[in-house]
Amino acid sequence: MSGTGRERDDANSASVSHTSESAVLTSDAGSATEQHARELTWTQRLDALLVAALGRAGWAVAVVGALLTVVATMLPWTYTAEYPEDLTVYFYPAGPQLYVLVFAVTGLVLLATERIPPLTTLVRRLLPHGVGGTVRALSLGCFVLALAVVVFITGTLGGLVNVDPGGYLAVLGGLIFSAGARTLTSDTVTAIRGRLPDAVEIAVVAVAMLVLLFLIVAGLDIDEQQSFAAYVIFVGFLGLAATRAGAVSWVSGVAGRHYGVTVTAAFLVAFLFPFTQGESNRYLNVMANVLIFAVVAMGLNIVIGLAGLLDLGYIAFLGVGAYVGALLSGSQFSTIDVVPPFPVVLLAGAFAAALFGVVIGVPSIRTRGDYLAIVTLGFGEIFRLTMNNLNGSSGPDVTNGPNGIPDIPHLEFFGWNFGENLNLFGFELGYFANYYFIELVLLAFVVLVFVRSNNSRVGRAWVAIREDETAAAAMGVNTFRLKVSAFVLGASLAGMAGVLKAHLSTSVEPTQFQFLESAFLVAAIVLGGMGTVTGVLLGAVVLRLLPEKLRFLDDKRLLIFGLALIVIMRFRPEGIIPSRRRAAEFHEDEIDEALAHGLSAPGPAGGKA
Amino acid sequence: MEFFLSQLQGGVVLGALYALIALGYTMVYGIIQLINFAHGEIFMVGAFGALAAYTWGALDGTTTLVALPLMLLGAMAASVSVAVITERFAYRPLRNAPRLAPLITAIGISVLLQELVRLFFPINTGDSVAFGAKSDQPFPKLIAGERLELGVIDISRVDATLIVVALVSMVGLVLFVNRSRTGRAMQATAQDPDTARLMGINVNRIIVTAFVLGAMLAAVAGIMHGLKYGNVGFRIGFIAGLKAFTAAVLGGIGNIGGAVVGGFFLGIVEAMAVTYMPGQLGGGAWKDVWAFVVLILVLVLRPQGLLGEKVADRA
Repeated sequence: MSGTGRERDDANSASVSHTSESAVLTSDAGSATEQHARELTWTQRLDALLVAALGRAGWAVAVVGALLTVVATMLPWTYTAEYPEDLTVYFYPAGPQLYVLVFAVTGLVLLATERIPPLTTLVRRLLPHGVGGTVRALSLGCFVLALAVVVFITGTLGGLVNVDPGGYLAVLGGLIFSAGARTLTSDTVTAIRGRLPDAVEIAVVAVAMLVLLFLIVAGLDIDEQQSFAAYVIFVGFLGLAATRAGAVSWVSGVAGRHYGVTVTAAFLVAFLFPFTQGESNRYLNVMANVLIFAVVAMGLNIVIGLAGLLDLGYIAFLGVGAYVGALLSGSQFSTIDVVPPFPVVLLAGAFAAALFGVVIGVPSIRTRGDYLAIVTLGFGEIFRLTMNNLNGSSGPDVTNGPNGIPDIPHLEFFGWNFGENLNLFGFELGYFANYYFIELVLLAFVVLVFVRSNNSRVGRAWVAIREDETAAAAMGVNTFRLKVSAFVLGASLAGMAGVLKAHLSTSVEPTQFQFLESAFLVAAIVLGGMGTVTGVLLGAVVLRLLPEKLRFLDDKRLLIFGLALIVIMRFRPEGIIPSRRRAAEFHEDEIDEALAHGLSAPGPAGGKA
Repeated sequence: MEFFLSQLQGGVVLGALYALIALGYTMVYGIIQLINFAHGEIFMVGAFGALAAYTWGALDGTTTLVALPLMLLGAMAASVSVAVITERFAYRPLRNAPRLAPLITAIGISVLLQELVRLFFPINTGDSVAFGAKSDQPFPKLIAGERLELGVIDISRVDATLIVVALVSMVGLVLFVNRSRTGRAMQATAQDPDTARLMGINVNRIIVTAFVLGAMLAAVAGIMHGLKYGNVGFRIGFIAGLKAFTAAVLGGIGNIGGAVVGGFFLGIVEAMAVTYMPGQLGGGAWKDVWAFVVLILVLVLRPQGLLGEKVADRA
């Protein structure tokens, strides 16, 4: 939003939040170029082009495309059975073909309702926004999936020769389907306000959570990377279609009304996860690491999401906790020969990190915005370099320098050895389940801290500081003390996570705490939706779990990470599940425009601030 | 005394390098108040551009006087094109977004550029191409020869060239900014973009110019870095960029003279800290730590920098 726009719409600045940052950002160079800002985006241009070309035939084109796609799924896409799923059989769709079939048939059914009057009214009642947006999502899903599979076949089997006509037909069908679907009207999705009896709504929440568990477990079960990638694309477009249909905003509305139930259900589902894995440690290990990451991301979410302090050195707090945990673990490489009981170590880790938080926080807090980010980055790097240097030659011998502290034993906790398989309700679970469960408890604690402080006087003061520090100070908010407290609270939570991490990864080295890790954490928060619980947890899971499964990306993971950051900031800076406030902030000009046209502002789908 | 002088000299050389990169930060900041966090990577890309020009341009047998200008061309082509592309496709769409957005984008660009070089930099292995500069690549030491002795100063030829090249570039930049029509348009835009636009200045073009000038200086720095140290790696941009940013802030970000002063100041502080810090705190292992300490002290205590510039909205 630029200066000129601000002046034009001063009246609605109450509903649209201006952060102190965005106020600063209204640097005048922005307005100098604003006349270009309202150009059509390329998708709008594409739509206009398609409507001009197809006219009223759009619906028919979409149907033809969808039918072609259905036919394509009945044909073989490749002629060797070497591709992970057997895509060589006539009239027997498998794997990705099934996904495409599901999309195409659902799309066809929805398209049909547009032309069958009694159904049209019924569907209109269920989907007040029409089927256009949903069909668009489904058709694009068909196209992307087919294209991806063709690419995978080419890559896996070596060359385009391995693609059979069925594959090409599917791509073509998807393309025609998409082209037709784009000419359908797609209304903006707004939140559905309908209410059902409480019992039904709670059941909806439970079902939604179980579906989530099912999707995750099913995804983890897929071993072949091509199949997994196809699965991810399928789930992604399924989610997109559900969003366009309004289902997502409805479910999140329901979940919002029964917040306690939802959170309980979510943790229950997370608790159930190890039981789906049997004695296998493979994904328990992965998920235990994901959980640590999620805990740290939630802690950082307090600092960034609530108090608005962009901390780029947050990983250092995890590092402090990890080093405390490692030094007090009884590892033979530890330079301290004291092994206190675990709860003491946990508190020591939290305390040390909090202390470090004060040391870093007090000077950093004097700066704002970008400068704060860079000061914290500097502190983070100083921490890493110092841990590297306390090796006996360039400093006292505390941390073994770059070699770190390996051989950290498993946790022992009231006679509960974390290195042994866990017996629970007659199920034998791999020993990583121990870590998984204790981390789940920690995560629940961190989420509780987040939610409670968000709804408290302190939390409101943080938000006030985030939105406009000067105004907050003028209203009597002790900005300095509150900002330091956000820093220290975030730090101590990361410190606790660090102690667990030391035992989980059995070795602690300086390279685990480099700047890139902080960038990952910030990315998880931004990707998911800053200041939200669900969003950040989702962001953390996506960012840590996907790379684990997509091993074929191998050393290209960072490349994709960098690209993803740029693309997200460009197209959806508010994250997957935005808080209402942030979405408003990032789409000020669209909201302004809507208001100018006398419409109500399009509320972002779902999510709670 | 002689030892002190040689340390000082080392600091000045380092400082010249920092100053060259810092100018890029400062110019972009001065005009659109954006901290181009990826500028260190532009410097790294410049170094690799020069290396590519050398290895692929069959410059191996030619004299230094032929090779260097061509390498400079390669370095600038790489840096400038990357800078222009990032400005156009990553930063420009975010010009009106909340401040967090461009910063995160910049981190993304930084990671992306490092990875692109790490995975796809074409190495000439003689008869074939190997992709990816995963480890440090040897950089031709074109400026060799005996050390120069000028009175009390005893300096290697590379260092002397670096200082001269840096000074020439800086003088060139100052002349451009103060004398040329475009340069004056840049100043006008920095002071008041809206009025500048009303006066018929194409603000978008001026912003691109700032990015291009910064990238050209970074390319010079990249090539000099390679010549001085004899190798380049995809990681050199991160630390160098942070230090150059420190230098820019130290001198007062947005202030061209300040970036130069800040660069030399930081270089000298770093060289002195390595030598004169007591006990184990001295030595190369801690040198980056001292640079970061300077960074933090400046940002916290004197965010307007040594020479000062209007940054009331910053701190």
